[in-house]
Amino acid sequence: MSLRGKVALVTGAGTGIGRGVSIELARQGALVAINHFDRAEDAHTTLKMVHEANSDGLIVQADVAEPDQVKAMVEQVGERYGRIDILVNNAATQPNLGLMDYDDASYDRVISVNLLGYLNCIQAVVPVMKAQKQGRIVCMSSVHAKRPTDFDAVYAMSKGGIKMLVRESAIELAQYGITVNMIEPGAVQVGRKSGNPRPIVPPDQVTAESRRRGARKFPLGRIGIPSDIGHIVCFLASDEAEFITGAAIRADGGSMLL
Amino acid sequence: MPNRRVALVSDASHPFGVATAKRLAHDGMTVVLNGPPGPREQAVAALALVLQAEGHDALVTVNDMKDTAAVTSLCDDIVTKYGRIDLHVHTHNRIDRGAVASMPHGLVRDSLHFHAKTAFLCTQVIGQRMAAQGEGCIVYVGSIHGDKPTGSAFSYALAQGALQMLCKEAALELGRSGVRVNLIAMGPVEGDDMRFQSDISDIYLDYQYKVPSATLGTAEDVAEAVAWATSDGARYLNGAIIRLDGGFALHYMDHKMKR
Repeated sequence: MSLRGKVALVTGAGTGIGRGVSIELARQGALVAINHFDRAEDAHTTLKMVHEANSDGLIVQADVAEPDQVKAMVEQVGERYGRIDILVNNAATQPNLGLMDYDDASYDRVISVNLLGYLNCIQAVVPVMKAQKQGRIVCMSSVHAKRPTDFDAVYAMSKGGIKMLVRESAIELAQYGITVNMIEPGAVQVGRKSGNPRPIVPPDQVTAESRRRGARKFPLGRIGIPSDIGHIVCFLASDEAEFITGAAIRADGGSMLL
Repeated sequence: MPNRRVALVSDASHPFGVATAKRLAHDGMTVVLNGPPGPREQAVAALALVLQAEGHDALVTVNDMKDTAAVTSLCDDIVTKYGRIDLHVHTHNRIDRGAVASMPHGLVRDSLHFHAKTAFLCTQVIGQRMAAQGEGCIVYVGSIHGDKPTGSAFSYALAQGALQMLCKEAALELGRSGVRVNLIAMGPVEGDDMRFQSDISDIYLDYQYKVPSATLGTAEDVAEAVAWATSDGARYLNGAIIRLDGGFALHYMDHKMKR
């Protein structure tokens, strides 16, 4: 499974899952455009890690909620690499506000970034992928496209919308050789505050005891890490996955089953 | 003994809203018929006159539900007049056609607002009121297109997907205060083959025959489901997505249609 020479654009790649995805894509040989909104320093760290994985990349700053900025970002990637084979829609905001705590502005921002931001990026890359007669779009959904969060109502609404954006895009863009799929991560350790209390046990620290305790929430005994998600992106972006579109792969250590 | 429950129908100009309002009024409820401002206001007023002539208690409101202030004002008006709100039935339904690759951003946003944000605001404001009462029911009249893509009206499907998750979040949050929240995912009705006409999906081609009974749904079917979901008989129903489509969405590659 090689992505050698393929060009990937990863949104929200400064931290967390986006960084993990960027590194795994680089390890498979892809060139990675690293998008961030206001995390220049983090994006540089991601770029450094892409270089350490023996690949090349560039940093593209843009607010995905702004169609004009997204268009400019896609042009910038095109100027550097001449093509875009893989779009990973990942940038999201999660204010961890309860149903009753949202106001008009916070509601609009979450929908604008998480849902319309994904649409903006799809609309911007489709002409490029159409011309190439192929493309791979992978959208980060969540277990919260199915199961409520109980701590961030509009985040879950945005993920419910993404589920349908992926399915609609899949049937519409299939004619151009573009596949569109989604990943539904459960809890992933991303080094920032989350509203959901959960046992954090990195894979290298899993013990029999932590596995037993963690297994009450995660049958596999640990929380997810960004590379868990990156591996799935690489598969969905590969030639081997050409018959998969409109699909969802849940990666949650089995937590949704409990 | 008269049924003193007060029900708000968010868009009483849509056929689903009309049928639901009639059904709830006939069950003895007080119905508040909301209409979005504009040409359809008259239809809502006419429906109120019909119900009032039959001896039902019906109030007309005109509210676009565009923000928290608008919905709060509507909620306050109802509570001032009747002292409570027992049912909220969200019947906003508008199919905006458009392709993923080309639909202008503003239209997508507008479509999401019309379906999902109005429902969200009503859930916040009216849900809080119901929670204070310690009881109430919210029903969103949604669509099977919260799961099945349309191939013709993607912003509608996005909104329906978001609505499904609103239902689940609200069911958890408000369920703790005695408020039940459910969604009816309505299937095919007359005219949907035109509304969802698509170059890329044949889902609505010969669609009547894709329903195992070979019959289309009606607005009265929606009203019947709303009446049940909000009845005491459905007291254990919460956070449910009720697919009301005669089995239409079960189809996988059209064989064995009943012609």
